[in-house]
Amino acid sequence: MTPRPETALDSVAIARAVKRIAHEIVERNPEAKALALIGIVRRGAYLADRIAVEIRGLSPREIAVGTLDISSYRDDGRGRPGDPRLIARNIPFSLDGKTVLLIDDVLYTGRTVRAALDALTNLGRADSIQLAVLVDRGERELPIRADYVGKNISAPPGHRVYVRLTEVDGADAVVIGNGNGK
Amino acid sequence: MPRLSKIDVVSIEDLATAEIERIFTLADEYAAALEAGKPPAVASGLVMATLFYEPSTRTRLSFESAMHRLGGAVISSADMNASSAAKGESLADTARIVSGYADLIVLRHPHDGAARVAAEYASCPVLNAGDGSREHPTQTLCDLFTLRRKKGRLKGLTVALCGDLKFGRTVHSLIYALARFGANIVAVPTAGMDVPDYVLERLAAERNYNFSTVTMDELKSLAGGLDALYLTPSAPHQMALFTGDAPLEKIPTAEPPPALDAFYVTRLQKERLQSKDAPTSEYVRFDAHALKGHRVQEAVVMHPLPRTTELAYELDSDPRAVYFEQAAAGVPVRMALIAWIIERSGEPRSRTNAQNAAIVFKSAAPPRCASPNCVTRFEAGYLRPRFRLAPGVDRNLLALRCDYCDREMRIEFVGHASRRRYYRYDETLHGYVRQWIEEGTLAVFDSVKQAEEEGYEPYRRGPQREVMDAPAIARALDSMAEQVIADLPDLTGVSIVGVVSRGAILASRICDLIQQKAGVRPPSAAIDVYNPAETVMRLDSAESFVAEDRTIVIVDDVINSGWTVQRAMTALWQRGRPAAVKLAVLIDRGHRAVPIRPNYVGKNIPTARAERVQVRLAPPQGVAPGRARTQDCVVIYSMVESLKEGEDAG
Repeated sequence: MTPRPETALDSVAIARAVKRIAHEIVERNPEAKALALIGIVRRGAYLADRIAVEIRGLSPREIAVGTLDISSYRDDGRGRPGDPRLIARNIPFSLDGKTVLLIDDVLYTGRTVRAALDALTNLGRADSIQLAVLVDRGERELPIRADYVGKNISAPPGHRVYVRLTEVDGADAVVIGNGNGK
Repeated sequence: MPRLSKIDVVSIEDLATAEIERIFTLADEYAAALEAGKPPAVASGLVMATLFYEPSTRTRLSFESAMHRLGGAVISSADMNASSAAKGESLADTARIVSGYADLIVLRHPHDGAARVAAEYASCPVLNAGDGSREHPTQTLCDLFTLRRKKGRLKGLTVALCGDLKFGRTVHSLIYALARFGANIVAVPTAGMDVPDYVLERLAAERNYNFSTVTMDELKSLAGGLDALYLTPSAPHQMALFTGDAPLEKIPTAEPPPALDAFYVTRLQKERLQSKDAPTSEYVRFDAHALKGHRVQEAVVMHPLPRTTELAYELDSDPRAVYFEQAAAGVPVRMALIAWIIERSGEPRSRTNAQNAAIVFKSAAPPRCASPNCVTRFEAGYLRPRFRLAPGVDRNLLALRCDYCDREMRIEFVGHASRRRYYRYDETLHGYVRQWIEEGTLAVFDSVKQAEEEGYEPYRRGPQREVMDAPAIARALDSMAEQVIADLPDLTGVSIVGVVSRGAILASRICDLIQQKAGVRPPSAAIDVYNPAETVMRLDSAESFVAEDRTIVIVDDVINSGWTVQRAMTALWQRGRPAAVKLAVLIDRGHRAVPIRPNYVGKNIPTARAERVQVRLAPPQGVAPGRARTQDCVVIYSMVESLKEGEDAG
């Protein structure tokens, strides 16, 4: 009805969610295991930085932070949307034997995560890969699930979930829009 | 002229230190002879072939010039990709054929380990002029020769390596050689372009050699004269870095901080980046300012050329900029290398590596080298992956090094091919593994699942208990088929894909059930995640499998870590873009290592990590039962994984 976007999480709630995810990560992963936080560009990468700061405040341990840039490409020669694929990576360390935490802003179809898993397994033999997302909006197309979720949000059909972060958008908020507005 | 002895120079490690010294003595002589205008024609009557699968002007021209100046002849195919390689000729065939035309082959190739392959198949000597991101030994000889000429020695020099230390093949060869000659290394990588771990581990294991890594900013403060960088005198290859945060009085003052002797600057290898490894920070840049500090007063600046932006042109007039001399050394050094091989002709040369035998796996699906650029992946038609034992870093993993490209693999499960037993590797097994390599009976596995798929049994198992009998399995499958029908209203768009082998049997049964219940039979296929050649095969028809736009239900017997499902999805995506993927498993036993969750589950069975859940199925109708069971069941047993001390692995 109303074109006004609805705020699902404000900046306080986002900060709380990031803190809680960091706590859960520390609880589930004993200190002896080296962690690698891999953020999916762009907003997942900033979330990875924030979560790394929180974890460092909670427990002294080795944490490496890197990024994967996974984007949908729209040109597969048949004029149809292709699947997300790896565009660039910045992971200047070995993943062998590490517990890898893949971090993204929104989990939706699962296709970006699948491409990320592919990219990570090509890079080395991680001990395990866990997934942390700020928002899980359901409607999965692949059998992917997150280990850590900031908030579950179900958006009406045709609507989109926008995560806005200070580093990119000037302020923190998660809003539900109707697909063409912000 | 007799045939040249078969002396291949694929890696700088192929040359003994004394041999390198001899080559340098010859290079000094040839440099003087070139100056005087009269080099001896020792290569008269010999033909050198230059095969370049990748463009390189300077390396090829300096090799060809060296051969001409020694009185020899050169035949060349400057662009191999436009000739036989484009017609699909294998590297092995090219090497064999060209050895009939020439006495010496010079090869440049984009794949790691290609020069080793050419050397094995050519009957004449092969000189590596760069293979993939691996090695470039003649460039290393030129670098060492220039450094030795400028500094009078190699032992004890301190050399800063700057820039792309990840892909720069010249840098990897140079690091091994500097370590061998007792020089100190300071690595100054551009962010994200560090020396790869396998190089560091190899240096640590084989030469007990370490070096420190500093950032460009730290190096700049050193160059500016800050007392920030020390070589600790007790460990000559260990550098300790003290930043401004460290209290000054704690800095040891016994030894004066040493000066840097050389900067070795590399070019950003854009052609090897493929846009995926974008460097995040700016690439290094050397200008007159960088050479101002008193600690770098005597430092020479080297670069393998061509340069892009990393060396300012204003440096060229500085006497410490020796990169053009370094390039000019290319001809006398390559003359010396060719002359040295001629000098050795007639001499038998055997350099066998007896205590570290090569491992070639005889199984149908041998392990692949982990490097995506390894030559074994591109010349798979005739080249079997081959490995050697590498010094292990982790005592619970077996380390194997690819014999072609040097990439290391870490193995968790090993097996004995004729006893058909598998074991979780730990160092108590090392003696047995060596023995099995000699017998040719070593097998290696990614997982317990792969071992059992290949018909291996655990070395020993604890007591087992049955958790599902045949009727329980039938009920679980029935429920899974109901879940699929309820969840996926349009069954005409659905394909069922079972993971070989038990998942594939279950996929056929689920197809039968769906047909009984809904009157539609979805196409079914089997996916073999361990066999890259025959990944997805239709079970119900001879047509090829279609993934594009289908809703695919992956079926497996047990889900544990989830890596198998991840691999199955990777294989499916190579066939197209499915509209959706669902996962059906008979048993979910927990212990996930990847963020995957099944959509349809027959039964959840909580287990301990050391337990193994095994689904045993009667063969499909029409298949002779043989030794197989006639009743379905699911059992759990505890795996007794490692050997006790003094116990026989048999």
